[in-house]
Amino acid sequence: MAERTPERLTRLLGMVAYLDRHPGVPVEELASHFEVSVEQVLKDVDTLWMSGTPGYWPDDLIDFDAGSLESGVVRLTQARGMVHALRLGTREAVALVAALRALREAAGEALDPAQREVLASTLDILTAATGDAAATMDVRLSVTAAPEVLAAARTAIAEGRRLHLRYVDAADRVTERDVDPWRLLTGDEHSYLQGWCHAARGERQFRLDRILAADVLEELVTTSGDAREPTFVPNDEHAVVEIELDGRARWVSEQLPVDATEDLPDGGLRVRLRVSSEAWLRHLVLRLAYDVRRVTPVASARAVGGAAERALAAYRTPPDGALD
Amino acid sequence: MSENLPPAERLLNLVIALVNTTGRMTKEQIRAQVAGYDDAASVDAFERMFERDKETLRDLGVPVVTVTDVAHGDDQGYRVDTDAYALPPMELTSAQLGVLALAAEFWQGQVLRSDAARALTKLRVVGATPSATDAVAGLAPRLHPAGPALGPLLDAAHERRVVTFTYRTASTGEVRRRTVEPWRVIGSRGGWYLVGHDRDRAAPRVFRLSRIEGAVRPTGEPGAFTVPDDVDPRAMVTSAQRDEGRTAWLAIAPDRAGALRSRGLVDPGPPPGDLPAPPAGTDVVAVPYTRTAELADEVTGYTDAVVVLGPATLRDAVVRRLEAAVAMAARVEEVARG
Repeated sequence: MAERTPERLTRLLGMVAYLDRHPGVPVEELASHFEVSVEQVLKDVDTLWMSGTPGYWPDDLIDFDAGSLESGVVRLTQARGMVHALRLGTREAVALVAALRALREAAGEALDPAQREVLASTLDILTAATGDAAATMDVRLSVTAAPEVLAAARTAIAEGRRLHLRYVDAADRVTERDVDPWRLLTGDEHSYLQGWCHAARGERQFRLDRILAADVLEELVTTSGDAREPTFVPNDEHAVVEIELDGRARWVSEQLPVDATEDLPDGGLRVRLRVSSEAWLRHLVLRLAYDVRRVTPVASARAVGGAAERALAAYRTPPDGALD
Repeated sequence: MSENLPPAERLLNLVIALVNTTGRMTKEQIRAQVAGYDDAASVDAFERMFERDKETLRDLGVPVVTVTDVAHGDDQGYRVDTDAYALPPMELTSAQLGVLALAAEFWQGQVLRSDAARALTKLRVVGATPSATDAVAGLAPRLHPAGPALGPLLDAAHERRVVTFTYRTASTGEVRRRTVEPWRVIGSRGGWYLVGHDRDRAAPRVFRLSRIEGAVRPTGEPGAFTVPDDVDPRAMVTSAQRDEGRTAWLAIAPDRAGALRSRGLVDPGPPPGDLPAPPAGTDVVAVPYTRTAELADEVTGYTDAVVVLGPATLRDAVVRRLEAAVAMAARVEEVARG
């Protein structure tokens, strides 16, 4: 929980330099600008207020307008020379520049001209400030989607409109569904559309290369992806399945919208899931086969075992079965 | 006045003191005068604290320079030059800050996460308020983790220092110490690669970061090599990926596994001669892949709709998964019966 020293120091120095440029900034604004809590900003101001040059007499210290602070505005009156923004270190510069380049290259199609312009200008500024530091790393993202799917997703996200998707899932079912698109997750191997699926009544990620068609609908979206909590809303139509797992399958409780998780004394866990499709459950249980101890209802496990048994039969056919 | 001052506050006072000092401060002056150092219990404790602090500051881009005063013999003092640490003059709009925040998000869950976050804090200083506008809303990047080798390799590539590391060769599994001039690190298609000059083989090589075992160590001086102009690291990685890429030969039941079919090669060439015959009525599809475990998970999910004909490593991986599923079902039945 405790913040690391370099992070705190960087922000403390950054705040002084920022406040030197912006006379009088409301506490809330400062907090949101540096992405910390209001409480943390006040702590930082207190720290700065007691810091300064040796001697530490009132004239030696970084100073703020106390009256202004009482009314919720941070106004710096003495910076003690700490007015410069810090230059970027090698890793810092490389990390940002490589990411920007990768975005420009791969996500170009997913951006409109104004966004592309922002991206290009940011890259120019950063490259000018950091020199050739960034030449040492190169990241390539893959957005392997049909251009019309990508364009529809972009439009829908930008305009807050619902999408109608034709999608082939990992369980090999082609489905049609209405989705509130939240964001595109652009990866180095696959890219995904994340959003609320009205058919499944849950948050879903759709691999872009599996979206067969996407149409932007007239309806506006009614959900947003801002909430970080799992957004699965259980409903009575979903069958309830309870699975007991070894501890190493703990990711299930973190990555899937589980109804309840119970830790077991031996490090294992029991999760309760609402399942909207047999195929999805079969896929999950197959993937967890090594770690599953118990499944209720047991018929779910039986079905998976039966399917696996049938599949194995195909491998047991003598390899010279070329008589077909 | 400064009993047990937190390190961030001690460092802050050190920077302010060394920026404002006329000329320089000696270690004795720092220990006696700068808030936070007076609680050092001994000279040794102070020395260790001060060395560590200088290192932290250097990592943050605030170099503490040593000044030798001729008038006082070899008596050393310290100073921080604002010119050396200042970001070049620049301004960022709130939209540009939004793009940078997105770029920083790339590194979530990665070694470079804190570097990217710190860079963002520094850039916010020259950014417009408010930074709320999200210029590229709806685009969230994700990368496969590069692992601990990434940071040291980037540092070495930047300083042009030679590195050594233990590496497991992809083709033979042979483990050897390698000495490499690191040219560039490339992240692509789920893998991370180092392109550089292999000194032992006296030739350019591509290394996969995930095959580096243990620590990457820089050796020798900075500026030890130059990157030749005529190399194309990207092309080298693409070619290496082609070499490590494999083709799965799958027998797929009619109208099933659309996602696998859609990735099938249009013109895969003839199948290897040792491939078993496909079950009657199935279509043979050739699917390129790089990671056996990942494709095996996917194929297993289709159970009897997809049969792996080759290669044997993929086939065995799928069979193992299916057997585990059968065993699991038996185990669960057993438990349920009590």
